[in-house]
Amino acid sequence: MIGEMTPVRGDRMAGRDGFAQLLRAEWAKLWTVRAWVVSLVLVVLLTAGVALALGNAGNSGGLPTVATGPGGVAVNDNFFFMHRSLTGDGSITVRVTSLTDGAAPGQGEGSIAPQPWAKAGIIMKDGTRAGSAYAAVMATPGHGVRMQYDFTNDSAGLPGAVSASSPRWLRLVRSGDTMTGYDSADGRHWSVIGNATLAGLPTTAAAGLFVASPQAYQSGSGYVPTLATARFDDVSLRGGWSTSTWSRCEVGAPQSRVGAGCVPVSSRRIPLPLASESGGTFTVYGSGDISPYVPIVDIVGGIIKAGSLAGLIALIALSGVFVSSEYRRGMIRTTFAASPRRGRVVLAKALVIGVVAFAAGLAGAAVALTIIGPKLRSQGWTPPIYPAVSLGTGTGLRIVAGTAVVLTLAAVFTLAVAVMLRRSVGAITVGIALFVGPWLVAAAASQSVGAFLLRVTPFAATAVQQGVQHYPQSSAVCLASHGCYPLAPWDGVAVLAAWTVAALVAAWYVVRRRDA
Amino acid sequence: MTRVADPALLLTRAPAGRKRAGVLAAVHAEWIKLRTAPGPGWLLLACAVVTVTVSSAVVAVEKCSTASCAVDATKVSLTGIQVGQAAVAILGVMVIGGEYATGMVRITLVAVPRRSVMLAAKAAAVAVVTAVAGIIAVAGSLLAGRIFLPGNGFTAAHGFTPLSLGNEPTLRAAIGSVLYLVLVALFSLGVAAAVRDTAAAIAIVLGVMYVVRGVSSLVLDPTWQLRVDRAAPMNAGLAVQSTTNLSKLPIGPWAGLGVLAAWTAAALLAGWLLLRLRDA
Repeated sequence: MIGEMTPVRGDRMAGRDGFAQLLRAEWAKLWTVRAWVVSLVLVVLLTAGVALALGNAGNSGGLPTVATGPGGVAVNDNFFFMHRSLTGDGSITVRVTSLTDGAAPGQGEGSIAPQPWAKAGIIMKDGTRAGSAYAAVMATPGHGVRMQYDFTNDSAGLPGAVSASSPRWLRLVRSGDTMTGYDSADGRHWSVIGNATLAGLPTTAAAGLFVASPQAYQSGSGYVPTLATARFDDVSLRGGWSTSTWSRCEVGAPQSRVGAGCVPVSSRRIPLPLASESGGTFTVYGSGDISPYVPIVDIVGGIIKAGSLAGLIALIALSGVFVSSEYRRGMIRTTFAASPRRGRVVLAKALVIGVVAFAAGLAGAAVALTIIGPKLRSQGWTPPIYPAVSLGTGTGLRIVAGTAVVLTLAAVFTLAVAVMLRRSVGAITVGIALFVGPWLVAAAASQSVGAFLLRVTPFAATAVQQGVQHYPQSSAVCLASHGCYPLAPWDGVAVLAAWTVAALVAAWYVVRRRDA
Repeated sequence: MTRVADPALLLTRAPAGRKRAGVLAAVHAEWIKLRTAPGPGWLLLACAVVTVTVSSAVVAVEKCSTASCAVDATKVSLTGIQVGQAAVAILGVMVIGGEYATGMVRITLVAVPRRSVMLAAKAAAVAVVTAVAGIIAVAGSLLAGRIFLPGNGFTAAHGFTPLSLGNEPTLRAAIGSVLYLVLVALFSLGVAAAVRDTAAAIAIVLGVMYVVRGVSSLVLDPTWQLRVDRAAPMNAGLAVQSTTNLSKLPIGPWAGLGVLAAWTAAALLAGWLLLRLRDA
């Protein structure tokens, strides 16, 4: 090591040392201390080991039976349908004059607020099988008018809830494979909400009015069925509609087998009022939901996250000591004598710790995912609810690469804090508190507090490890412990990157201003 | 201070100068260190301030909109302890780890050669100052809960009374939370005495507390979940804060605190044994 340093002193003036030599010196410091190499190995072992231990999770309860939508995604497809067949091109136009929502009969009426994603509107669907392709235009209590198709696609129309004084006109037009949704506040001026191309939709589709209302989550009593009631009038049909009367049934009824088709409403265990028509006004009742199915447990993402946070503790300790040991032993004076431009010393240290952290994170996460992916599948975490996640899938690659990036940024952040504090204990505590503290508080506190912490703290970066896809139009409760994050995966990493850059800039400023 | 090459020499020489330094004298020495060094004061202040701040923030936003909201108002008001404990953990680590970092520990052992007395004196001093900070932290947190919660729907109509120490479970949660902080500080002291390195000690302590706690929320096997909740120091220790649905807890309030106490005893024992067995 001394031998390598000599040319720097011999050939160049102090202060004009090359950055490459500085990097090499810092690298030599890191890998020649045995305890530090051991702690790096520990990062990999903890990341992979904790994940593997958690990967023994059997799925004892089994998975719920869900319908499979176009593209193989798990979906909720349960709603009350008043339909006729439409052959070839055509359109349906209705006015929605009211949409009320509350507890289903016998489920504690009056105690449940309207579900924001209850739906009442018009739909054209590939038959009445749950999970088949569809396009729909609907009014909702909490999200205004929407056009949705094939479960995962959602676009917004007119805002606001429906009432007798502010009704909504909805129109859905089929032209070949293309469906176009319109809405209007007065029945004269129409605007396009969106277009959907439903490839393979048969010439004859089931089309008509529908109502759905997702289950409400009540703390204490769990999920409770709800019932929505909607009034439609001004129904106008154009094109190849059949002249038969309206059929009334429930698509994807929970008590029937998946794919059983449309169940007559009267066969329900808890009888519901039938849809009725009087003088051109239709009153339609409905329960259920049309949305992507979001599982409660983010099994792969959660396990990799837990493993990487265990590894992170060792990494944060290493990053803190990598700096503080120089201060404790007085080595920092030698370092600054050899390289008087102190900002570059901080940068070189950050690069070295960042590179090793990236490698350790990548190795740990890749090993963990490769082993637990097939293992979880064999234990009952199966598609369509849990699609296969491996290094060959986009989600798997994002989780593994994201884990490496999160560890990199966390290591650099802790290093910068250690430069400012000059003490390892303070830096390590700040690092752990900022990464693990929000995790615990978010799990214990209410949803709004948790969402806030997941937006602003370094812990936001774990969004990149989410293994299940969440959708804004899903009515599932969004909790971080379920793998639901308020930020998109890489946006969460950007939050951590901002913390890291801020800490580095502060460290750079502090180290230049004060005595070593 | 002159450096003495061989600590073994000191061991034989020290009792000659001062017959049997008493335990009280050793505690007094540790108290002077705690009082006069800048670190401990700031850490204790940080513990109280962070605990009360986090607790206040949580109770300020926690809402109860229906009569069926299953929220433990006392436990929610004491959420800040989970963050504030980090400060007393640092204190426990620094009290002995800091001496190893600077070499001060050799002087301490010259003055108090008996390892047991030295460790006991440090433990006593840390326990007392942590208890004082803990009382302030817990009182502030409960006061914040008493002020904020009734305005957020935690009203008589929803089955809640304002937090009060006259309520026996709340009093138990308050006393238990103070003891929890003391045990965390002593656990950290024991770990630091065993590993002699501040960075390693704080990483171990916070890892065992926080990471095990976080990871345990992802254990899906109910049997293992129960085992972890009963055995992990933070999971079990915080059971002492619960005041409602006690029958559904994985472990009873005092039994949970007992688990943390067992961890603390084990750490102190390990620290004590290693102190006795090896050179300083």
